[in-house]
Amino acid sequence: MYFPMTVLFRLMVLSLFAGVSLASVLGQETPVSLEIAKDQGRQKSRFLKPGAGKEKAADAVPDANVADFQKVVQPLLARSCAGCHGEKKSEGRLRLDKLDADLVKGADVERWREIYNALIKAEMPPDDSKEAPLTEEARGVIVQWLGEEMHKASMVRRGNQDQSSFRRLTKYEYNYALQDLLGLDFSFAGKLPPDTASEDGFKNRSDLLQMSAMQFQSYREIGLSALKRAVVIGERPKPVTYVISMADQMKTALAAKDAKRFERGDENEKKYVNAQHLLNRETGAGVQIPQGQAQPTDKVLFGEASPVSPEAWVLPASGEMKLNLDRFLPDEGVMRVRIRAGRSSMNPDEYAGLRLIFSAHTSNNANFSQTISTRDVQVTASAEQPEFVHFDIPLSDIQRNPFRKLTTTFPRRDEFLHIRNISNAFSGPERMKVMVDQVEITAPFYEEWPPKSHTNIFFESPNRADESVYGREVVGRFLRRVWRRTVAPDEVGAFMGLFAKYRPGFATFEEAMVEVLATALATPEFLYLSPRQGPVVEEKAGNRIDAFELANRLAVFLWASLPDEALIAQAESGAIRRPEVLSAQVKRMLADPRSKRFSQQFVDQWLGLERINSVTHIKDASLMDAMLEEPVAVFEEVLRNNGSVMDFLDSSYAVVNERLAVHYGIPKVFGPHFRRVAVEPRHGRGGMLTCAAMLAINSDGKDSHPVKRGVWLLQRMLHDPPPPPPPNVPEVDLTDPEILKMTLKERIVNHRNQPACASCHSRIDPWGIAFENFDALGAYRTQVNSKPVDASSELFNRQKLAGVDGLKRYLLTERQDQFAQAMVHKLTAYALGRPLGFGDRSDIERLTLELRQRGDRLVDLIQLIVSSDIFNAKQ
Amino acid sequence: MHRMNGKTLAMNRRTFLRGTGVALALPWFETFSAFGAKQEGVPKRFLSVYHPDGVGLPLKSDPAWEDWSWFPRGGEKDFVLTKVLDVLEPLRNDITIYSGLSHPAARQVHGHSNADQYLTGANIGGSGPYKNTISVDQAYAEHIGDQTRHASLVMSTNGGIGGPRGAQTQSFNREGRPIPALNRPRQIFEMLFVTSGKDAAERLARSKSALDLLIENTRSLKRQLSSRDQETLAHYLDAVRDTEVKLAKAQRWIDTPVPSVDTSRLHLDAEPKEAKLYFQTMYELIYLAFLSDSTRVATFQLGRENGEGPHDLLSLAVGLPGAHGLTHAVKKPGGWQNLGTYNRYQAEEFGRFVQRLRETQEPAGQGNMLDNTFAMHGSASSSFHLSRNYPIISAGGKNLGFKNGRYLKFGKGNEDNQAGAGIDSDAGWTGKIQAEELPLSNLFVTVLQRLGVETNAFGGVSGTLERV
Repeated sequence: MYFPMTVLFRLMVLSLFAGVSLASVLGQETPVSLEIAKDQGRQKSRFLKPGAGKEKAADAVPDANVADFQKVVQPLLARSCAGCHGEKKSEGRLRLDKLDADLVKGADVERWREIYNALIKAEMPPDDSKEAPLTEEARGVIVQWLGEEMHKASMVRRGNQDQSSFRRLTKYEYNYALQDLLGLDFSFAGKLPPDTASEDGFKNRSDLLQMSAMQFQSYREIGLSALKRAVVIGERPKPVTYVISMADQMKTALAAKDAKRFERGDENEKKYVNAQHLLNRETGAGVQIPQGQAQPTDKVLFGEASPVSPEAWVLPASGEMKLNLDRFLPDEGVMRVRIRAGRSSMNPDEYAGLRLIFSAHTSNNANFSQTISTRDVQVTASAEQPEFVHFDIPLSDIQRNPFRKLTTTFPRRDEFLHIRNISNAFSGPERMKVMVDQVEITAPFYEEWPPKSHTNIFFESPNRADESVYGREVVGRFLRRVWRRTVAPDEVGAFMGLFAKYRPGFATFEEAMVEVLATALATPEFLYLSPRQGPVVEEKAGNRIDAFELANRLAVFLWASLPDEALIAQAESGAIRRPEVLSAQVKRMLADPRSKRFSQQFVDQWLGLERINSVTHIKDASLMDAMLEEPVAVFEEVLRNNGSVMDFLDSSYAVVNERLAVHYGIPKVFGPHFRRVAVEPRHGRGGMLTCAAMLAINSDGKDSHPVKRGVWLLQRMLHDPPPPPPPNVPEVDLTDPEILKMTLKERIVNHRNQPACASCHSRIDPWGIAFENFDALGAYRTQVNSKPVDASSELFNRQKLAGVDGLKRYLLTERQDQFAQAMVHKLTAYALGRPLGFGDRSDIERLTLELRQRGDRLVDLIQLIVSSDIFNAKQ
Repeated sequence: MHRMNGKTLAMNRRTFLRGTGVALALPWFETFSAFGAKQEGVPKRFLSVYHPDGVGLPLKSDPAWEDWSWFPRGGEKDFVLTKVLDVLEPLRNDITIYSGLSHPAARQVHGHSNADQYLTGANIGGSGPYKNTISVDQAYAEHIGDQTRHASLVMSTNGGIGGPRGAQTQSFNREGRPIPALNRPRQIFEMLFVTSGKDAAERLARSKSALDLLIENTRSLKRQLSSRDQETLAHYLDAVRDTEVKLAKAQRWIDTPVPSVDTSRLHLDAEPKEAKLYFQTMYELIYLAFLSDSTRVATFQLGRENGEGPHDLLSLAVGLPGAHGLTHAVKKPGGWQNLGTYNRYQAEEFGRFVQRLRETQEPAGQGNMLDNTFAMHGSASSSFHLSRNYPIISAGGKNLGFKNGRYLKFGKGNEDNQAGAGIDSDAGWTGKIQAEELPLSNLFVTVLQRLGVETNAFGGVSGTLERV
């Protein structure tokens, strides 16, 4: 995994030392802008030099650095160690002169590892040694050489395990696959155990996705219950319907003894007008109200347009309409909530979205509530011409009142629906409010009967009357979608055999067939990304994957799911092999809403965003949501425009919503949606590095954590993960009063100055310190503990980084190739769902070259990957 | 005579349960199974609770030693509990505390890897290829599992299996493959106590046909795969076969209704971050599973080694953040106390469970449930990442032959538990082994024998542990 970087790294170090003097001269002047740095850095790319890509690919296996051993290390060992571990004496049966200095190919790696451990722990040479003492500097030289050689040796071992892309679907892919297959937007996979992420964050790695009896059992259960949700048996169920008219609500509210009424222009109006209230818009009379009541009705009003009533429920920002629905909602099925709403004013800087919350009081002092809508639905119509917005909520998936079926009235059986206004209109005399004049609730709700999810499986056919003929049709069509390939008649036959066994146990054809189809959902060809070929075997396939497998790889890469019929058909005809067809399919797939899953999953895994669930210091839920959304929005912005991946390092824009813009101090961004906004250098934003999420997950709960931030940058952005800490790392001793007095940065420096820590930390900490202007929530700061922030640091190559601006400038000027290659590596590893080894090295090199030559564009990279040999090869 | 006994036992159990107000509908199967060859007398149970991150082990010279050193002080009988374990004082005569035990293969492996091998003793190493072996609970479950509806109950706060050397389950099957742990109380409850339906028999028959088809389908797929991919597919086939075995077993339970139990102490939607409710509910589920004889084998892993995530917030129960971080922070002001406070809390919850077993009469026999249960609580590291001198407590098992009320020191050269004390760096685990310790698997052999498994070896180690 580390292979390209170390080699590259060596190159960089060389080129850096050459470049540093220039940079430091420049550093005396005003530093160049990041835009110019980007251009300058591009000029330096080794991939853009004349003749790049023509040279022979570098060796797949890194060479051992025996030359340095002979020149530098061996003399040191001879001077300080050979007396006890040499020709004359061989204490511990160790003879240094007999060890093979080639750790990559040689057989003495284990012995060298012991020597490494003894040296870093300063166990050797012993104090009473009669040899020439080993200076700290000399020890450092040996440790450094050994560290690098051991690293290479371990990479070779890892590289030798050849990896396959044959794997089962991940939990999330399985969920999406069922959603797409059945046309149902529910979450199905909840009961599956979580998948393990690899060290570099990917959850789709073939070597980590395991299978067990319990997991298999879960697949069977989930498959059956999902099918049962897709298919309907019997008559259309009679729905429970609530029609909540504000005229009725107002009548009830006004009849209450302690009603808080007001009239137009009176004192009470001023008191109540900014709280939620019911208002007669014609008379100006109103009443402030905490909650409403609703009972099911027999009226078949649902879906019909009734005239807008003068009475409206007025919801100011954060106000909510709480409706007591009693205990009549059914257990299962979709609850549709339609709300006719409009805005009291159309100021474009204000927004209002509706959110549904469900709650119950389960004892005197206990209640629960849960947001049941997946996203806030914006109210865009005016109050004069209100429009319906609607929500569909699967009732079996939300927390219900467990006491709703009691025959006694205690504990309480009722359930509440809250409609909340999520808005920024908190101030001003004319602050915008949402006016609701009607709410309709119905469950179970079906758009049509039988629903589409049913007719997708049990479609119309002239053969419906003949169960065995129609059964074959049903099974055949279903298997084609489940297996994503052409299905042979005898394969259908096996399932019809099962149907024949099952049929007598069920009242209807459909019920028996659902059980049969559930078995198809437990087949390995559904659960795994199968390399099985269709009935027609392609000629001269060689090491190339089947056209169906190509369609599958595409779908799981860009949709995290199954191919659709269009893709399957292109595979069946073989057209998908044609470059222009493949390219057109990629464009189509990226334009499809399902590609949102790609952005979401890839970015989450690449950047390790899940870690946000493990930090406790983000108290503001809307900030946390915005933090999580931002990197995905940045990625989508670049994807949509086929922009440069270098934008992830820095860009002249940020992609933010109002909440995040406030956090970043960017003015005049209103509303909850993410959009591209130009930023200035003083904001310190643009790109992934300074997304609040990155800064927050790499904090320790109270303050920034430069070491975590440094490791994150190296691991996630530069694909150059530092080795794990060596064995004798002392914890910073905070009982030491001298250390307690130090600032964080001083502590880190102190830690780094200890020889055992220096070799790694000098490569980690400076990167992280450059982020010191950002606190644990990723907000910009100029002071820490009333001292000015010191975000200047110096890399091990003496390159000075002046804060994050300097860091970005350095990366853009000197590290573009490394980042481009890291991006290629990450995206390819994700696309293939397997770790990359030495054997993949030249493909990655080639892809990086092409990416750079084509101008670093993200969509180009995706196109390059899917048409590459590595993506089209078996394994 | 035997026949009579069987009936009498079952009646006793019903009578007792009615008397205590525990609603437990006893399956008739119990009375039949009493005639089974293996079922002699009362159930023998095994529980292991695992906590990651070890315990606090300050140096004697440290002011924190007096109160916050995990191990007791004093001798076998007159031992004195420190503040970490003093919550177990009321149970003193029902517990045994061990020192000087560890798995030899792991003694120089980083503690972060060792949750995997705590119950297996396997030489999993710290890097390279990974292979585990059967865990002691499963060795017992293989022996006794077919007597109960569930062969074992495998639970952890994180759920699933985790990754190699990062186990999120304590249980491994005969092939050394991890058994996924359940972590959601509601799921566990439903598995144990929610009836699987009247048409289960028909479903079973359908399942058998479905599995046949799946096996056939897998075989034909296999022919198109490379040998490496066939290996991956073999895991699937194993899973199908394991399911077949389960079906065969399920056949016996088809006509037996699930027991109904008292759910008043359960908070089925509790999550690890609500640590107290969660702990209480998970322990209560084990208790109810044992009480209803739904299983006789349970494991429970609290969190995972070297982790981040919700499990790591269990220490919020005592107002402390990040459990793993506590072990790293022992040198910070109040560090030993914080770690000790969290360990104390773990012991307290374990003690509460032990107490509950002690207060419950054995449903099908004499004495209380604790006397027929061997319950252990421990970790595979003592001091910071140090895979030696495991801190282990066991409780109960009087009727199995365990003599409690003792602090048993094993090995040589570390009578005061100072080897590796006070370390907060990894120099410890790579350092020289100064003290002689005995293999923990010796204890496992003793346990297995007393549970009725005929064996003289476990995890590659022969022989029992003396004095236990």
